[in-house]
Amino acid sequence: MSGILVIGAGPAAHRFVARLRQHGHRGPVTVIGAEARPPYNRMLVPSVLSGSLTPNCIALPDLDARLRLGTSATRIDRERREVHADDGAVYRYDTLVLATGARPADQGSRDGVTPLRTLADCALVTGRRILVLGGGILGMQAALALCRRGHDVSVVHRHAVLMNRLLDAEAGRILASRLQDLGIRVYLGRTAARYRTGGVTLDDCTTVLTDRVLLCTGAVPNVELARQCGLTVDDGVVVDTHLRTDDPDIHAVGDCAQHDDQPGHLSRAWDQADALAAFLTVGHAGYRAGGRVTRLTGPGIDIASVGIPAPSTVDSAVEVVALTDPARDRYARLTLRDGRIAGAVLVGLPEAIATISQLYDRGEPAPSDRLGLLLGGPVTPTGPVELSDDAVVCVCNNVTKITLVRAWRGGAETVNDLATSTRATTGCGTCTSVVQGICSTLSAERQGA
Amino acid sequence: MTRELVVVGHGMVGHRLVADLRARDSTGSWHVTILCEEPSPAYNRARMSSFFDGKSGEDLSLVDAEFLADPLVDLRVGTPATQIDRAARTVTIADGRIGYDALVLATGSRPFLPPVPGGDLPGCFAYRTLEDLEAIKAAAVAGRPGVVIGGGLLGLEAADALRLLGMRPHIVELASHLMPTQLDGTGAALLASLVEPLGLRLHCGTATRAIEPGPDGRVSVVVLADGTAIPTDLVVFSAGVRPRDELAAPAGLTVAGRGGVLVDDRCRTNDPRIWAIGECAAVDGRCYALVSPGYRMAEVVVSQLLGVGTPRFPGADLSTTLKLLGVEVASFGDAHATTDGALVLTYADNGTYAKLVLDSEARTLLGGILAGDASAYPLLHSLIGHQLPASPDHLLARSAGVNQVLAGRL
Repeated sequence: MSGILVIGAGPAAHRFVARLRQHGHRGPVTVIGAEARPPYNRMLVPSVLSGSLTPNCIALPDLDARLRLGTSATRIDRERREVHADDGAVYRYDTLVLATGARPADQGSRDGVTPLRTLADCALVTGRRILVLGGGILGMQAALALCRRGHDVSVVHRHAVLMNRLLDAEAGRILASRLQDLGIRVYLGRTAARYRTGGVTLDDCTTVLTDRVLLCTGAVPNVELARQCGLTVDDGVVVDTHLRTDDPDIHAVGDCAQHDDQPGHLSRAWDQADALAAFLTVGHAGYRAGGRVTRLTGPGIDIASVGIPAPSTVDSAVEVVALTDPARDRYARLTLRDGRIAGAVLVGLPEAIATISQLYDRGEPAPSDRLGLLLGGPVTPTGPVELSDDAVVCVCNNVTKITLVRAWRGGAETVNDLATSTRATTGCGTCTSVVQGICSTLSAERQGA
Repeated sequence: MTRELVVVGHGMVGHRLVADLRARDSTGSWHVTILCEEPSPAYNRARMSSFFDGKSGEDLSLVDAEFLADPLVDLRVGTPATQIDRAARTVTIADGRIGYDALVLATGSRPFLPPVPGGDLPGCFAYRTLEDLEAIKAAAVAGRPGVVIGGGLLGLEAADALRLLGMRPHIVELASHLMPTQLDGTGAALLASLVEPLGLRLHCGTATRAIEPGPDGRVSVVVLADGTAIPTDLVVFSAGVRPRDELAAPAGLTVAGRGGVLVDDRCRTNDPRIWAIGECAAVDGRCYALVSPGYRMAEVVVSQLLGVGTPRFPGADLSTTLKLLGVEVASFGDAHATTDGALVLTYADNGTYAKLVLDSEARTLLGGILAGDASAYPLLHSLIGHQLPASPDHLLARSAGVNQVLAGRL
């Protein structure tokens, strides 16, 4: 038995192997990883960058598997079911799992320019002034981490809205103003045109002085091994709902895999690892592409993006509820489909973030009191509401409900009679339906009495 | 002893003043002369568009036989006032002078005609009076385009009128969206999405550069600032109104900085015998081009004329609703959330938009906007300044009609 071979030792690989064992898989498992360091939680790299966690804190638990670290796979031989590695060894497999991850889109092969992906990258982030290029979630986490560590931080983002894939314009605006409150300079709709020692010139000719540029401009899947051995590759390695490539013995999970949803999020890698482990052991549980909850926190910052934040199509089943509170920088935009949360952008509403994330994960219907849901307040009663006596029914003529009720009891029992005696409905006429409603209600009441 | 009241103007507000006064003046202490510039006595200008929907001028009239037969009311139609002599206490008309003990100016507004080249060509109309409507009706050609300049409440009404006349209406609005005074961008976008399928063509965020004549000298093309040329048979201006304050200044009555006869919160001018009410009055400097505040002003002045106190103008409720082309829109209270610390809650789906403005505690309703479905308007309007008795979702009664909302014990 050659067993299961995993290429890659990142969080997706780790999760996959751990789940395999939990499901009772007893056969041999081998993991080949390019980084010399044992698997760690890459999501927490920004915390290491900020100094709030040490590298050891983010190490993942030991695995019951043969680990080959510091070893890169160089070729897959599908015919012989073998993987060749740069340590000169040949690894045989029955089932191969590609968990090769992704690498920074821009490797920054210039002095003073570093990508941020691995723990090793953290050590290179030195200098007082740091420019973070890229205002996505990683860029935001890095900027907040560096600010906390006392650096002088600038952020340059090519889109007009920070975290534009996850937030909308209003949430992005609040985030930008919060970053500025923390002393972070934010340049939106700009790209870096030229690097030189001590500074970066932007495409509008602004010069930002900096000792180092940290690249957070996204990642590209590592697909070379898959492409080389003839598997179908688009942006990533194309997989079906069982995370299978077009070779039934080869699977792919995590950032290197392309399913019909968006890559780049660890919870997606975890979901895929879980689904694949279940499929290979108990033989069920296809991977269902779903949205996720992304949260960014920092001093005065608590922002979440849930599911698909902005619907591309608005049909009759879709409802959008928004709350803006400019005085307190709170904001929410909820998209519901058939009464269930399809997506949300939430700013400064921690209770709503918790409740809505949970409703979303479970696919449960949202409560009908949307305001209560957003403000975390009590659900207000939903009994029949009646107009108060002093409610102005006819705005043009300033006629209140009690005036109409008294006139009706005085014998003016039709809309026309009420118009004559109170002038209600004789202005713009909008209130006619309400006056009619009052007549019917009073008639019904008398018949009932 | 019966005293003489002269009312200049017989619009909705002038008529309300006289009707109220006659209803409350049980001893007949005032004889009223009404100087009405238009050939017809007061009519309901707020429902003028129904003129194109089968109603006649008579149907819109506010005046009944009893009023016309009142010996203490002398209604003179087609009789404009041309001058006020405060020293002699007379108002000049074409064939003489009328003395007064008290004078109320209720001259209303005139349409604002933007200074567009060609704006005075044959085929250009205002949308203000029954005569304007008759002229538009006579000039309309079914199946041909017509351009309405101004996309406010009145502009939409004018466009609907053209539609009812069988024309293909265009609306040109300077602001970025329809009804800018009442609606926000989202509400207006919804309104646009509902009226466009009915045949209205919208051109927002652009000015009118020129109106050009055809070979017959009549309106032929409207050219917009963005270069668009709209071939058209007629042009209707509905770009707002200006107060009719021209009698004031020559008579030494103070005119407000932005127009209108300046009055205090009791509608008094600087002459203790002269009041101004309705759209021509600038209460503490501000004019209100809506009928509801005008009615409040009329009530304030009637009390003073009868010597039963000097109530103050309570302030204007600028809430407005529109139901045209089967589309409902309402704007009420602090619709644009200008109150400090206000929260804004919005609901949107593919056919309706609701915006509620709440106080910083999210308890008290301050105002809002409804578009697509305004059935909750009367209830919400009545709750302005009050604590919400139920969740906004429930109050909007999005699945229920107003009748369910009213179904509580009355």
